[in-house]
Amino acid sequence: MLNPILRKRLGQGAEILATLAVIFFVLFPLVWITLASLKNQVDVYSTRLFFQPTLDNFRIIFSDPILLGSKVWVSALVSFTTVAVTIPLAAAAAYVISRHQFRGRDTLFVAILVTQFVPAVVVAIPFFTLFRNIGLIDTPWALVIVYLSFTLPYAIWMLRGFFDALPVEVEEAAYIDGCNELQILRYVTVPLVMPGILVSAVFAFISAWNEFFFALILTRSNSLTLPVGIMTITGVRGPMWEQLAAGGMIVMIPILVMSLFIRRYFVQGITVGAFK
Amino acid sequence: MDLPQKSSARSVGKPRRTGSNPLRWALLTPALLVIGLTVIYPLLSSFVTSFRNWQLINSPSPGGFVGLDNYTRAFTDEGFLNSLKVSALYVLVSVSLSLILGLGIALLLSKPTRLNTFARALLIFPFAVAPVLKGFSWRFMLNPEYGVYAKMVGTVIPPLKGYLWLGHDFSALLTLAMSEVWGWAPLFALMFIGALGSIPSEITEAARVDGATGWHIFWRITLPLLAPVVYIVALLKIISALKMFDQVVIMTGGGPGNATQTLYYYIYQLAFRNLDMGYASAVSYLLVVVMGLFAFLYVRTLLRGRS
Repeated sequence: MLNPILRKRLGQGAEILATLAVIFFVLFPLVWITLASLKNQVDVYSTRLFFQPTLDNFRIIFSDPILLGSKVWVSALVSFTTVAVTIPLAAAAAYVISRHQFRGRDTLFVAILVTQFVPAVVVAIPFFTLFRNIGLIDTPWALVIVYLSFTLPYAIWMLRGFFDALPVEVEEAAYIDGCNELQILRYVTVPLVMPGILVSAVFAFISAWNEFFFALILTRSNSLTLPVGIMTITGVRGPMWEQLAAGGMIVMIPILVMSLFIRRYFVQGITVGAFK
Repeated sequence: MDLPQKSSARSVGKPRRTGSNPLRWALLTPALLVIGLTVIYPLLSSFVTSFRNWQLINSPSPGGFVGLDNYTRAFTDEGFLNSLKVSALYVLVSVSLSLILGLGIALLLSKPTRLNTFARALLIFPFAVAPVLKGFSWRFMLNPEYGVYAKMVGTVIPPLKGYLWLGHDFSALLTLAMSEVWGWAPLFALMFIGALGSIPSEITEAARVDGATGWHIFWRITLPLLAPVVYIVALLKIISALKMFDQVVIMTGGGPGNATQTLYYYIYQLAFRNLDMGYASAVSYLLVVVMGLFAFLYVRTLLRGRS
């Protein structure tokens, strides 16, 4: 029999070890990609932790023939445009659903929520044929249009929550002071809900930036986004892992930085379907 | 313009404006138009296409109506039936792995020690990583020759040294699932930690005083109290797992054979490789039905929780 104090110590030790294992499980793939991106083409096939780091991979992926810079540009253009269209439309709709009482309001809201769950393949089939016919295939605009199909419903859902959380007394006070509804919206409500708008914008940006399915179908060569673009980093024997890892860093770092800003809202955002 | 209703002490989330109002429609219409164009239009268009014969390779415009042929064809199509089976197995594996690991992590990190607080702050990162990158990194780490995870597993369990993780039916599916579980389990843990925090400690303490063991407390108290959260996150994960696609492209291409050809990947092949738009639309509508069922349960549960 172990004595109780020793047993408690062992228990605590086991708990700490298990927690360290969790940290390893969560972080290790990120660490390993980061290390691979700094390795040369020999070291990348070894699991040694000590090697001569190099930034060559980043130089290579931004020069001919991979030219990742153009993919970064397309991804940024598509993601920013998607956010710029999504947020004003979603905020306006979410405000009305939160603050107005009218017939069919709840039905409308549920209908918007349900559109969130329409699978992307169903959206892709008609748009693929349509874009082929009107020559929009392989353009950033085609991607922006289809990305709105998932960013807008989610953003309305999320922003409604933020509007609902604002006490209406502030708006009423402004009303009594003689402001009309549009003035109240512009000078009172929107500034107060700004944190929610920024959080929703970050979620929309991340989902557009990481999107793969539509980008794979609707682009060919001119408007490849980053997630599809890094697939081209292959040699005769399969992926060039060290360069692919460097490309992966370019995809990943902006998103990891952004997730820090939305940390507190992360669970809430996923629950309303922010990422597919 | 109508007057605001009489003020109450707690008015958070109360709709205030009633009656007709031109501003309301001015604000609502643009969003509804865009949803109509980007979701409702394709949904209807796919539905109509699902009753037609349309080989895009032969003609840029759809062919004649064929009734229910595309739907009946699905149930004699080996490829479709296989993808149905693969997707069902994938959902089962990835949902249960995410739940078990997520629950384990949550119980481990629920005490607010300094190490635990640090570990909790890390939990959001894997989920935000692009699925493509999840696929590439797990494929890289499980390569039998130089993969770091493959080597670790081979050291701990020598018979698995050099095992071709993506070369066998079930392990390929498991590897796909792991690349997703890596993101989902920590996220589940975060959700469970939130729910665990709302369980009053008096309950577990009282049980402990009455002589209940930790195992008992988990099965009889913690798990039943967590059940509503488990239900919601499981639905969310099922919906996501039914859409498994990105890593299939990156890691397996549906193989070995067609062992990882998920429903989503199969529809992709029908529509964008075979260009068989009519049949692809019909199969994707079968997915809509399955997805719609889970989405209905999910939305209903969430909205009920609000009110």
